[in-house]
Amino acid sequence: MKAVLSLGFAALVVLGRPSFAHRLDEYLQATMISVEENQVQLSMRLIPGVAVSGVVLTDIDANRDGVISEEEGHAYAERVLHETSLSLDGRRLSPRLVSATFPRIDDMKEGVGEIRIELTAEFSSLSQPQGDANRKLVFENHHDSAISVYLVNCLAPRDTQIRILSQNRNRNQSFYELDYAQSGAPGGDWLSAWESRLQAAAGNFGGAGNMFRLGMRHIAEGTDHLLFLLVLLIPSPLVSGGSRWAGFAGLQRSLTHILKVVTAFTLGHSITLALAAFGFVVLPSRPVEVLIAVSIFVSAVHAIRPLFPGREPVIAAFFGLIHGLAFAATLGQLGLQRWARLVNVFAFNVGIEAVQLVVVAAILPSLLLLSRTRAYSWFRMGGASFAAITSVGWIAERLLNAGGPVDFMVDAVAQRAVWLAGALFLASVLSWRLLPQPAPENAS
Amino acid sequence: MDVRRFRLGISAGVIAIAVVCLSRSTAQQQTVTSRIVGAANSFLGTLDQKQRQSVLYAFDDQDQRKRWSNFPIAMVRRGGISMGEMSGIQRTAVMALLASVLSQRGIEKVQQIMDGDEVNKTTDQGPGGNRGGPGRRGGGPPGNGGPPGGPPPGNGVPPFGAGGRRGGPGNGPMFGKDLYYISFLGTPSVKDPWMLQFGGHHLALNITIAGEHGVLTPTLTGAQPALYTVDGKTVRPLGRESDKALALLNALDENQRKKAILSYELADLVLGPGQDGKTIQPEGLKATEMNERQRAMMLDVISEWAGIINESAAAARMDEIKAGLNDTWFAWSGPTTASPGKNITAYYRIQGPNLVIEYAPQTLGGDPALHVHTMYRDPTNDYGRKFIHP
Repeated sequence: MKAVLSLGFAALVVLGRPSFAHRLDEYLQATMISVEENQVQLSMRLIPGVAVSGVVLTDIDANRDGVISEEEGHAYAERVLHETSLSLDGRRLSPRLVSATFPRIDDMKEGVGEIRIELTAEFSSLSQPQGDANRKLVFENHHDSAISVYLVNCLAPRDTQIRILSQNRNRNQSFYELDYAQSGAPGGDWLSAWESRLQAAAGNFGGAGNMFRLGMRHIAEGTDHLLFLLVLLIPSPLVSGGSRWAGFAGLQRSLTHILKVVTAFTLGHSITLALAAFGFVVLPSRPVEVLIAVSIFVSAVHAIRPLFPGREPVIAAFFGLIHGLAFAATLGQLGLQRWARLVNVFAFNVGIEAVQLVVVAAILPSLLLLSRTRAYSWFRMGGASFAAITSVGWIAERLLNAGGPVDFMVDAVAQRAVWLAGALFLASVLSWRLLPQPAPENAS
Repeated sequence: MDVRRFRLGISAGVIAIAVVCLSRSTAQQQTVTSRIVGAANSFLGTLDQKQRQSVLYAFDDQDQRKRWSNFPIAMVRRGGISMGEMSGIQRTAVMALLASVLSQRGIEKVQQIMDGDEVNKTTDQGPGGNRGGPGRRGGGPPGNGGPPGGPPPGNGVPPFGAGGRRGGPGNGPMFGKDLYYISFLGTPSVKDPWMLQFGGHHLALNITIAGEHGVLTPTLTGAQPALYTVDGKTVRPLGRESDKALALLNALDENQRKKAILSYELADLVLGPGQDGKTIQPEGLKATEMNERQRAMMLDVISEWAGIINESAAAARMDEIKAGLNDTWFAWSGPTTASPGKNITAYYRIQGPNLVIEYAPQTLGGDPALHVHTMYRDPTNDYGRKFIHP
């Protein structure tokens, strides 16, 4: 009798439990997104159902000791982070892990345990243009996709300058797209000021005006594109003396050289931008992003020791081709109609160009002055080293698909770009007045 | 006729009359809140010292305030004391208190949800698994013959005695109408704010009384089975929530439906337990794009939740909701039809400036028409915070 009863209980536990526990055979992953002026916060709640909790637990409790240690929890949260992606206006953001809390293992086995992961991604306020801007945030979650159901929602923004326009999801919500409008603070940074002026100049081009604006913003936010160009320009006022950089090449020669480099870069990225925009070239964005970082590294090394003296325009054109593919990725996301593309691609490209010219114009006088002095080699080595280190960081981050401090650091520098450019100019004038100048054309 | 239920009904009536007479004699003017406070005090008066201690929490106890869930109590523990731990008189006093706080349809809904969980207990234990025998609860139908060991009905002995517990060590009982808990935050008062919580599996009533204000948000209702038969009568505890919403969807034209119907699946509540204080971006069809008839139909859907509380509080609540109606959205996800007499298998959400209603069928158990969770919130006034911190 006793045995029969126990059997009955066994059956009860086996049959009764799962049919009434909460989640059964799914891993519920609910993400709440909160958009603010210059950051995005993601709150993830992960609740494995009874039938899949074993699989999920094995993933978390790597050493199977029945305890989720801090390291195991952290490693799991990082894995979730790697299997999700977040981008703003086509540029990948690198969310960082704020916290991860884990329920009791027993609760997880019952299907009631909730894992909570908090993530934050900051983006530079540099990217906030004056006036209204339409932005697109994309969140994708591929963590444990075979067993998961997803929920993604956006909190109603508290910031009155942010207005949600639309939300789009695929059927199972693993892909989520948020369109919102953000009005910038009045009297913004130098770039916004320039942008609004140029925008006004661009007049009522309608869609093309918007594309022009988008192009400007893309390169302004794309510190990697600008860094490449700047580092390539560093040695351009110099003549090379075999395996090392020597003195000032002379004003006229420097100017024509810089002009050639900028034009070659423009040509390069215009070609691929056009090809990609019309669907002739399709490349996944990750390798392109890695190659862009590589291009910065190469031009940084070149600024330290001449690798291709005199042939910078060729290199600029070559890497321009790669940078153009990244620009195209931004355009591609807008899903433009074919007939609208030609005008748009052109406007977008002109927007990119406008910002490039502003940046080059801002530091050109400094380069020309400073390159006449002995201080230039310090500046050249310092700038090139910064670019080299940054690019290596980017290569690592982009290869590993990991968020890291590099973007944050570069953004911090970029936000102070006006001050830095001013300081550089001041230092150049001082050096030029005070330091002894090597004779021009002296390749000793 | 269920003898025990009949007796319970009689005692409930007697207590209710007693409560009414008592408060009549003490209060010059009878208000809804004073009736509720009277009923609450009558219940508290039936408790011994130890029970009182476990049922009363400080008004600012945030942990207890948020200790509610859709889960069975064995999975998520509740505070307070359960119906199963109470005597018959105490249980009757609880029902009288609920009757004073809730509307007629509100208390019916609550009872049907609890009865549904009672059905779970029987099916969960399976044939032979119910050690108490089919007649154990409530004396059973005449002639069924409860087992000799079963507690006699209405004698004040907790029915969850020898026969009720199931499972191995550490495995408490999972289902049944004894497993619903009552708790108070603060002490019942006609002036100062206090809270009454009542809930268990698929039920969480969080009622804040602040003077003459009565606030029902946040409240969770749910049902599994969402359709069952008692004495040959089919019961769907949340059937009107399903039917009225489907009627509204069917009243929309093609253009409106395009906006109302979301293109993605929703596996669960977005703002369920633990998600207090969040306002999500609304989606779907806005009420400004509905005609008067459709707007009235939507209000009728809303009333299924707003009308759980007593008539005067419900009327005040409906006024608030009507004031925000232009900013209220209706969104639907899933099948747009239902089998006759059964619940919808689609998710829907009604969201306004001071309202969130979610209806989320659950795939768990096989048929989503038979298992549903719903959530009723006021993001501006959950737990009556508008009236507590004016």
